[in-house]
Amino acid sequence: MAEPIIRLRGLSKNFSGVHAVQDLELDVLRGARHAVLGPNGAGKTTLFNLISGAEEVSSGTIELFGRDVTHLSAFRRARLGMARTFQSSRVLSGLNVEDNLYLAALGSHGGHLRILPSRSDRALRQLARETAERVALSGRLDSMASDLSHGERRQLEVGLAIASQPQLMLLDEPAAGLARAERQVLMDILLGFDRSVTLVLIEHDMEVALTVAERVSIMHHGRIVVEGTTAEIRSDQRVQDIYLGRENAA
Amino acid sequence: MSSYLMARRMAAVVVVGVVVLLPFIFSVYITSAIAVPTLWIGLCAVSLTFLSRYGGMISLAQTGLFGVAGLLTAALMVQAGWDPWAAALIGVLAATGVGLIFGALASSSTGTYFLMITLALAEISYYLFSAVPAFGLHEGINAVFPPAILGDPVLHPTGNYYFLLVICVLVYLFLRYLVRTPFGIALQGVRDDPDRMTSLGFNVRLHRMLIFAVGAAIAGIAGVLSAWNNTRISADSVSLAVTIVVLECAVIGGLFRLEGAWVGALVVTVLTTFGPSFTDRYATAIGIVFLAIVLISPGGLVGIWTWLDGRIRHWLESKPPAAPTPQAAPPPIGGD
Repeated sequence: MAEPIIRLRGLSKNFSGVHAVQDLELDVLRGARHAVLGPNGAGKTTLFNLISGAEEVSSGTIELFGRDVTHLSAFRRARLGMARTFQSSRVLSGLNVEDNLYLAALGSHGGHLRILPSRSDRALRQLARETAERVALSGRLDSMASDLSHGERRQLEVGLAIASQPQLMLLDEPAAGLARAERQVLMDILLGFDRSVTLVLIEHDMEVALTVAERVSIMHHGRIVVEGTTAEIRSDQRVQDIYLGRENAA
Repeated sequence: MSSYLMARRMAAVVVVGVVVLLPFIFSVYITSAIAVPTLWIGLCAVSLTFLSRYGGMISLAQTGLFGVAGLLTAALMVQAGWDPWAAALIGVLAATGVGLIFGALASSSTGTYFLMITLALAEISYYLFSAVPAFGLHEGINAVFPPAILGDPVLHPTGNYYFLLVICVLVYLFLRYLVRTPFGIALQGVRDDPDRMTSLGFNVRLHRMLIFAVGAAIAGIAGVLSAWNNTRISADSVSLAVTIVVLECAVIGGLFRLEGAWVGALVVTVLTTFGPSFTDRYATAIGIVFLAIVLISPGGLVGIWTWLDGRIRHWLESKPPAAPTPQAAPPPIGGD
């Protein structure tokens, strides 16, 4: 049986008395396609911020790749083999597409402080161009990221995660704001990953989430309230109650 | 279009020619009072422009670092009798080291907070130099002559001018090279989105700290060259007023292009040198120029030039091609 690539135990995060994440437990197995769903304000993005190290935990532990990383800085966690995308596109707007992807590749390969030419640069540039092709941006390599359309920025956002060749990808609403055709491009990219990459995604678009994911956790008020396969989730009454707002009334 | 490009190239050749032959074209006074200060003030300003353009950090600590190198070099030369080159090397290394410390202190802040921290560091430097007798207090350290091979900086400034010019060109080329290295591209990523760069595995704080040290080394070189060319330096050389002058040069020239630092330094040097002959309120004139530039063109004078150049090119490209010259009508065949 595959070991967990993410193991969260008793994870909590408070913001001035607001419990964004409460006593959360979660295991994600290596190679899994796992979606974290829930209504707005459920604590999904905070959960990603805690896993990636962008926010410090209030209590609990985080293990990634079998190692306790609770107090490890965000950039060191990324270097372990984790990449993430953000809810709203966070591309490097003052650089062109190729340089964006080159930096993503460089980030996981080291040599960040190098000021002399190296043989590895050619390989990293090649990886950047291959990634651009994979996310359908090979025709925009020289375009500034600030000049890309919303859909292209989302593609570049995913490209940044891919170029770092991670073992674990956290995708925060990758389909947000995409047109149908752009969403199909994104789904093709996500379905094209082999099992050496574990995918965890937050997504409001159920078509994308339930097509890509095999296992789903439903978050509500900072807790995971239901977990199961996509078939189990589709038929779970509590999930329907949460999404229809009947859960609080019950 | 081609005639415009030709004229543009000609203008560039003329500018480069004037810069290269300046000591032979202009008087000793112009060389020593305008050209030489433009180069070293521009060098200090380019350290600020570089940090701003590629690191997203507007630092007001550059004059403090300028002072660390200039005053230490002067003290080692005059009080300890050191060789000028060795003293300069130690001065620049000290400024780089202090820059690392300043960078470590300021690198976790951004925007206004970064600006205020670096202003505080500049003021701490000023008050420290004002209080330590080894640095000459407000009277400063005099008789800080450059190496003999460069000649007298006041009476025979040609050697110093060319030395400064070479240093400025080397610094400019180095910075242009640096921003295309992995370190430099990552620096621009840090400028655009530090959180994104962290998520890609970059140590953002280390990057900001190191680039601050690069800026410190450049400001330090400017400090040494200032001390040599003025043959003196004091705590007042790094006061708040000088900090503002350096900021004015960077903004007037343009914070988006490295060349702007020297353009701004030239404007400010000309205004401060010749302004008093026309009016006691020349500082107001500099203030008005500064204000006008900030309001009209955030990219400074270089930004105005770039905009004009773009408009002319666009206009020339969109102009319909000239109609062929009508041929003279052939003489009628035959006659009445």
